[in-house]
Amino acid sequence: MIGFLQQAVTGLMVGSLYALVGASIVLVYKSTHVVSLAHGQLVAFGALFFWLFFGGLGLPAWISLVPAFVLTALIGILIERLALRPLIGQPLFAAFLMTFAIFIALEGVFVLYLKGGSRSLPAFLPAGNLTVHGLSIPINQLISFFVAVLLFVSLSLVFKLTKVGLGMRATAEDHRLAQSVGVSVRNIFSYIWILSSLVAAVGGIATANVMDVYYMLPYIGINGLIVAICGGLDSLLGAFIAGLLLGVVENVGAGYLDPLVGGGVKDVVAYVALLLILLIRPYGLFGLVRIERI
Amino acid sequence: MRPCGVFDKSYAQDIAIVRTWQHWTILISALIVLYLFPLFGSYYLTSFMNLLAISVIAVLGLQIVSGYCGQISFGQAAFMAIGAYTSSVLTIHFGVSFWLALPLSGIVAGAVGIIGGAPSLRIKGMYLAMATIAIHFVVIWLILHLDITGSFKGLYPPYPSVGGFEFDTDERMYYIIMTVMVIMTYAARNLMRTKVGRAFVAIRDNDLAGEVMGVNLYHYKLLAFFIACFYAGIAGSLWAHLITVVNAEQFTLLHALEYVGMLIIGGMGSIPGVFFGVLFIRILNEAVMFTSPALAKSLPWLGTSPAAALGLIAFGLAVIIFLIFEPRGLAHRWEIFKASYRLYPFAY
Repeated sequence: MIGFLQQAVTGLMVGSLYALVGASIVLVYKSTHVVSLAHGQLVAFGALFFWLFFGGLGLPAWISLVPAFVLTALIGILIERLALRPLIGQPLFAAFLMTFAIFIALEGVFVLYLKGGSRSLPAFLPAGNLTVHGLSIPINQLISFFVAVLLFVSLSLVFKLTKVGLGMRATAEDHRLAQSVGVSVRNIFSYIWILSSLVAAVGGIATANVMDVYYMLPYIGINGLIVAICGGLDSLLGAFIAGLLLGVVENVGAGYLDPLVGGGVKDVVAYVALLLILLIRPYGLFGLVRIERI
Repeated sequence: MRPCGVFDKSYAQDIAIVRTWQHWTILISALIVLYLFPLFGSYYLTSFMNLLAISVIAVLGLQIVSGYCGQISFGQAAFMAIGAYTSSVLTIHFGVSFWLALPLSGIVAGAVGIIGGAPSLRIKGMYLAMATIAIHFVVIWLILHLDITGSFKGLYPPYPSVGGFEFDTDERMYYIIMTVMVIMTYAARNLMRTKVGRAFVAIRDNDLAGEVMGVNLYHYKLLAFFIACFYAGIAGSLWAHLITVVNAEQFTLLHALEYVGMLIIGGMGSIPGVFFGVLFIRILNEAVMFTSPALAKSLPWLGTSPAAALGLIAFGLAVIIFLIFEPRGLAHRWEIFKASYRLYPFAY
């Protein structure tokens, strides 16, 4: 039992990272209805920029967060301005394909910079383990878990309470209706991309905290996409819960199935889970069911 | 598209693929040049043509399921892997000859494709694309974890042979690959003027409306996936016996994305578009390969071997530019050219 709980808790910690990446994708979908594959790169570049200033230049961690956030947000704005804005009015599927092209181009830049190597962040969060009733939890992961929770709560509050949040929700409902009541849809798109890049950067830095910055890092974007779809693409709460669930299922599944099939279950659990969810509940756990008309 | 003054006098003429004697001349001379190519082309060019033709076969399948039937699939690389491994396992472990293993690997890939296409009955668009990405990873994971596929080491299939004659060079394989490519291209082109092809297009344009008009979505979507994966399987089998080394590294998600990129650049819903797209991306790749050593020398911060990364950047940028400026792909330009040729000397 303690083994199960230990795996579940480890899964929760990993799951909070997935939830962050998923949330950044949900943010963009909520207001623009564009599903973005490119966020994996935003995550990777967030981590890379942080490493550049923190590990590379040797600035203190709290100061290097600022340029990392600014630069990642800049990439987000550039993606929106240069690649996605010209596609307004075209089928949404073109935008999806566009994000995949962006993913590949940025992947090239990322690989070019790393030159086949990897960068590991020096520790910047307190090390050590917290032991509760025999369960051990690394403190640095616990901190990033709480950062994720805090971020989710504040994002939900922004959407619920502020005027910009109201504008975002209106834009999500209908672009033209939103414009007719005075919401600047263009500005909303920019805000949304900045916000979601920031969330992705937080996710990237938190991920780099537990693993190296190397060429596979952008592929966490696919896990984020899985989380976003499983939770329902327009639900922040769904992304949070699905992210945690995915982390737990991955770890527990790997713990129990690895001895049976000889290892490597962790790499495939997420995809099998996605296929099952898509077959049983195509619109995710908390997503809105869209009714189609001819 | 016919030149001025050519009119169809019967239904058969109207639906004919090759319409005028000029078309026949061009087609036959092109085929002759294609088959004589290894005699005057260099070894490098012949190998390049082999890779082109294999990509063409894979992208033709993708064109059928994505371009014509509207079900986007990021799983083409995985289904190629299934074809390659089926063919290798059959020839290595069961002693089946290549000539039987080739169609069998297509059928096995197609059968797996039906399972892979099953989600398309409930989901579409982006959701389906994600499902095919998931299928890709599951397939590659299975290949890496099964004993019969040799896991990480991969397999070493033999060269095809007939009556003691071994097709053991790129020039000899060229004839097999080109023949298969010509047959597959004809089959794809022909499929699109049959009832099945029209049903695919109806599903792409509006699946609900198509269903109301009596198109059996269940049947035709799965059929589209079967055909697409059959093509992928054939391409994979040819690849396996051309390279004679098969491992999972050759079939990554980036390869699948590359096929979709070829489709976008070539133009969705056009058979000539497949050729344009494959040619464009492959030549772009070769150009990057060619220039990157010089670039690396003059710009030291690029590192010693920037070819792979630069290739990704060039490919991604090409797809971005095409999506913004020519979303209908090179095939659209080709149609414009043909129209102006047809109307010459008039402007419209």
